[in-house]
Amino acid sequence: MIREYGILNDRIETDDAFLYGIPYPGVYVTDEAGRVVAKFFHDTYKKRDSPENLLDAALGRLELSEDTPRAAGGDDEIRLTAAIHGGKGTIRQGVLRKLVVRFELAEGLHLYDEPVPEGMVPTTVSVTGPPGLVFEEPILPPTRSLRLPNLDVELSVWSGCFDIVVPFYASGELASEVRPLETESATVEVSVRFQACNDRECLLPRTETLSLEVPLDVVDVPALGIHKGHGQREGNYSTMPHMRRLMLRSLRRSPLGVLRFVRKNLRLQRDARRRRRSGRAPAAP
Amino acid sequence: MTIERDEFGFDAPAPLGYPGRLGLEDGHPTGPKLGEPLPDFVLPDAFGRELRFHEDRGNAKAVVVFFRSAIW
Repeated sequence: MIREYGILNDRIETDDAFLYGIPYPGVYVTDEAGRVVAKFFHDTYKKRDSPENLLDAALGRLELSEDTPRAAGGDDEIRLTAAIHGGKGTIRQGVLRKLVVRFELAEGLHLYDEPVPEGMVPTTVSVTGPPGLVFEEPILPPTRSLRLPNLDVELSVWSGCFDIVVPFYASGELASEVRPLETESATVEVSVRFQACNDRECLLPRTETLSLEVPLDVVDVPALGIHKGHGQREGNYSTMPHMRRLMLRSLRRSPLGVLRFVRKNLRLQRDARRRRRSGRAPAAP
Repeated sequence: MTIERDEFGFDAPAPLGYPGRLGLEDGHPTGPKLGEPLPDFVLPDAFGRELRFHEDRGNAKAVVVFFRSAIW
């Protein structure tokens, strides 16, 4: 199936019994007819999308949770909310979350997208955080066109309720998964600059700054044979007693299952030896 | 221990150069394109029951995730 999709990891040597056959990781989202409506593939396997991002793509809308870090600003006319979306509002190495800046404008008001004529201020969102927090380009929602006959210009505007979304993730510098975390949370500063207008007049340009404290998610990577790290816990710890207990339990519950597991591994190694001898990749099964 | 940080700035509990850490090269195809139907497949689910993708999703939307391990 992986071959049929064309996503077999072809950088793994064919005689690698353990790894050969793995796919490049990624996600497809389909509509009701089974057609692909969204795809998520990244240049490194460490970069992954939060489950919430996949659901957003499937639902075609973004449902903000009430209990993730958030900050509010603005006034009755222009309400601003900045909130973290995904992973219960935490930060984790390589996992893409969204910083959502939600604008709720009173009836009749609108904000501008670029380009704007001289003297007017387009809406911009800029985000900063500690070293190791990587913010991608903001994703802007669709605009509607607004024609100003007096100035003979056509502008792109937003009105009502809309979101500007900034995808972000942590690198190893902030949230390494192979050493204990140095800090429990990260401060994210969101600066929003805009100028609101209605059909008759424009308000003064404004800059609002919102600050969010976002906790780091503690990942527990145990020191298995192939995992040389010790996760984010202090010090090394051994998983062997647990592995032994689990293996004995499986053996008691299903001796045949363990036999099948051993046979499968022997088969994988035999296949790898054959591939090494023949010097070519096998035909698709 | 030495931290094995890759060129993307990510750390992993496996040494640099471990084949499992190799990622998608620029321009490599990533399977079915947007708008194309996702190829059908038949695979056992977690309970060993045979799952026919297009038939069993019952005209509902679907998310198909290819992942390697929850921990690496």
